[in-house]
Amino acid sequence: MDYLGQLLANGLVLGAVYALTAVAFTLVYGVVRLVNFAFGELFMLGAFLTTSLMLPEVRLAGVIVPMPGFPLPVAALGAIVLTALIGVLVDRIAYRPLRNAPRLAPLITSIAVSVVLQSLAQTLWGAEELRFPEFYLATLPPVVLFDSIYLSVMDLVVMASAVIAMAGLSLFIARSSLGRAMRASAEDQTAALLVGIPVNRVVAAAFAIGSGFAALAGLLYAQTYGFAHSSMGFLPGLKALTAAVLGGIGSIPGAALGGLILGLVEALGSGYLPNGTAWKDAISFVLLVGLLYLRPQGLLGKPELNSAGRGSLLGGASEFAGGWLHTLFGRLDGGLARLAAAGPGAALAFLAIAAVLGALMPSDYWLRILTMVVIYGMLASGLNVIVGFAGLLDLGFVAFWAVGSYLTSILFVLVLKDSFGVAPDDIWWLLYLNLPLAGLLAAGFAVLLGTPTLRLRGDYLAIMTLGFGEIIRVVAINWIGLTNGPMGIRDIPAPDLFGIPLGSPRAQFFFALVLAALVVFAIARIVRSYVGRAWVAIREDEEAAEAMGVPTARYKLYAYAASGFVGGFVGVFYAHYQQYISPLNFSLFENILLLMLVVLGGLGTFLGPFIGALIWIVFLQLALDLPFVQAYPETRFALLGVVLIVLMVFRPQGLAASARVSLIMPGSRAKGAA
Amino acid sequence: MRAPTPAPLLEARRIVVRFGGLEAVGGFDMAVARGAIHGLIGPNGAGKTTVLNVLTGFIRPTAGELVFDGEEIGGLGVHGVARRGLARTFQNIRLFGVMTVLESVLVGGHLHFSASAPALLFGTRRSRGAERAMVARAHELLDFVGLGSSFADRVATTLSYGHQRRVEIARALMSAPKMLLLDEPLAGMNAVEKSEIADLVRQVRAQGIAVLLIEHDMQIVRSLCDHLTVLEYGKRLADGLPEAVLADPAVQAAYLGRAR
Ligand SMILES: Nc1ncnc2c1ncn2[C@@H]1O[C@H](COP(=O)(O)OP(=O)(O)O)[C@@H](O)[C@H]1O
Ligand SMILES: [Mg+2]
Repeated sequence: MDYLGQLLANGLVLGAVYALTAVAFTLVYGVVRLVNFAFGELFMLGAFLTTSLMLPEVRLAGVIVPMPGFPLPVAALGAIVLTALIGVLVDRIAYRPLRNAPRLAPLITSIAVSVVLQSLAQTLWGAEELRFPEFYLATLPPVVLFDSIYLSVMDLVVMASAVIAMAGLSLFIARSSLGRAMRASAEDQTAALLVGIPVNRVVAAAFAIGSGFAALAGLLYAQTYGFAHSSMGFLPGLKALTAAVLGGIGSIPGAALGGLILGLVEALGSGYLPNGTAWKDAISFVLLVGLLYLRPQGLLGKPELNSAGRGSLLGGASEFAGGWLHTLFGRLDGGLARLAAAGPGAALAFLAIAAVLGALMPSDYWLRILTMVVIYGMLASGLNVIVGFAGLLDLGFVAFWAVGSYLTSILFVLVLKDSFGVAPDDIWWLLYLNLPLAGLLAAGFAVLLGTPTLRLRGDYLAIMTLGFGEIIRVVAINWIGLTNGPMGIRDIPAPDLFGIPLGSPRAQFFFALVLAALVVFAIARIVRSYVGRAWVAIREDEEAAEAMGVPTARYKLYAYAASGFVGGFVGVFYAHYQQYISPLNFSLFENILLLMLVVLGGLGTFLGPFIGALIWIVFLQLALDLPFVQAYPETRFALLGVVLIVLMVFRPQGLAASARVSLIMPGSRAKGAA
Repeated sequence: MRAPTPAPLLEARRIVVRFGGLEAVGGFDMAVARGAIHGLIGPNGAGKTTVLNVLTGFIRPTAGELVFDGEEIGGLGVHGVARRGLARTFQNIRLFGVMTVLESVLVGGHLHFSASAPALLFGTRRSRGAERAMVARAHELLDFVGLGSSFADRVATTLSYGHQRRVEIARALMSAPKMLLLDEPLAGMNAVEKSEIADLVRQVRAQGIAVLLIEHDMQIVRSLCDHLTVLEYGKRLADGLPEAVLADPAVQAAYLGRAR
């Protein structure tokens, strides 16, 4: 009973934090139908700003800045107002130009905003945790309930703040004209426009309130756990999104309920399940995936929200017209488009250039970097099959990559070497067997994960795949018997061919190049056929595709399988190249990075993913020569995020906007070909 | 015993469709004969598109039976119905963005491709042959709908409205259907274009493909259709030969009473 009571109390505190953030997601979703992934980062900003305002001085970007040293309530208020302003600003800059854009565009933009905010926060406040200052209420003795449940005064403050904030919001929505307008827009945006509700003001208000709520949640969280950190918003953000979906995204009481349920389930799960604390993150995501499968609209939500607007990223151009950026992109476009759309000729030329570069490159260091370009290009190509061609935003792609890497590492190191004492040299051929084997395994896995997502569209699809990706990561961390857990697997042998070691950087580069040629060739063969046409048809208009006799569910699974195959296939080489893997290699951030590379180079093109990878990874290295970047390496990620946002606003089709690969088998195009 | 008249190609019996409280179609019956051009007319909002959506599996009717070519097609779903030989166009043109005209038309032929993944990867002679044959067929159809091959490599959505309609028809014909369902294919066209499309529809019939045509232009309907069904408020108002149906006072009232 004591134990249970204590868990319940912890669950309520956690639930309050999730509920507040979930309200942010749900409020904005209700008004603009946007899953603003950046709320996790606004949560983090709330924590940092409060902490900073409470301190006498803070080191910002290495400079000591005097701070007012406010007491908690004043600092909290200041942080909430500042974060609300940042939220409105983000909406104004990054989302408002995309109001009528295809739905994938603002979703990807919000992911980019997340990356920008997190990188900037890390630049400003550093990579270390910032300790949350003592507040006098926190020094009071705990309150004892029923003789056995200890609740700190601050826990009570957390719950009370959440309740007050929720009550205030309900009152605001019920009573104020802006609140009523907000509810009207949530019900029906077009109708709201027609009756003259100033939608932009309503949206700005939703962002302000949502960001304020996220900030409040963040500072309460920081207060409870005693620190602020630049990546602290990531998991709570995902959990809050889960809570919002759980309650039925768009419904405010639903968000509160979802947050509470999630907090309690997590607290009870970590208390009662064997090794529960380690698995508690998986609990939330299993709940999410299960719920989306059984009842996508959530507990209190409306079913029609599970729909994708017609049209894809590539079809509809954004509203924005004119401007020098447009001209600039237009220039870049011509060249890149020709590259990315690449017929076989250009692909061969590309391959030849890469080969010459690999043969002549004097520096091992740069050879390694070029190898990374090829690896990331291949992975991005795999993701491109599902996102770029089939139009399904998959945020769990890294799982397939992980399957490939772990399969080969477990076989070589944990099974054969450690358990049977077989030297890797004796079984060098296993690598070549593992490549297709891991591809097939990952493809099977992809179909397994893809099946429950078939009924989902748009945002929900992204959220569910994200849940899968996180579950896989938590499993990789905790199933120590299989994966060695967070320690990772070491001493994975470098590739070897008939006893000839291929471990040198140059050999590895050419190995990667051969694989890349295979990957691009295979993808091109499949895409330039009726299968690719079916994928693109699904991406552009799923119902019309069905009417043409395309069994869209089956073809989506084919896209998952193809994408999974590439992920698993490349994963095998990745493990042997790095010679060490751990769950950290397969984080959601990697998935986001791959997505950004595909968008950068051009969704739905063959060489675009490689162009994106080349631009990004070479820039990542070259920028390191700048003293500023040496001091603040994260600014590079912020820049990538900014580029992505600008790209989405001005050119949602990616840099190679007019690139368009032919979907017809080479040599069949001409009229008289038959 | 078989009925003396040949069984109709498509038969819809007592179809009911409710959207929430609204009964869009209430107990509708229709039979389309093989090789006929069957007109479905009625004022705006009468439920014509809804009927077409029911026939093609887009809407699952609240009640009723659908038999196509002797087979119950009620629960088959959209692609199942397409597989049985029903092809359609859309009242609001729905072409696939970024695809060229040729690619769009080829998607219509999806049902006739069967190469396996390995066959595609290795580019077997058969898979190439199938692709070439379908491309040739697509070019033929582009000529047939009056577009010609010069349009083949244009992005379909950048064409003029009339041309987009023709691409949609070619795409639908590419599946080699037994029946073609056209939802207001003449809307927004001038007189010349209208008569061209009407000729096209006759040629489709000449190939033995039945046509269900939703159309408002009574002149065209009268000259083109073998049989007419009139819908009003989701109910069948009249059914029969065009001359007789259009002379029916009830039908005239329905059209005079409401602007189209
Ligand atoms: N998906 C839908 N949901 C609700 N009502 C609909 C839907 N589709 C059509 N309706 C309604 O059904 C009626 C018939 O529409 P429709 O079949 O499009 O008519 P028509 O094609 O004859 O002009 C109209 O009142 C229309 O508003
Ligand atoms: Mg209609």
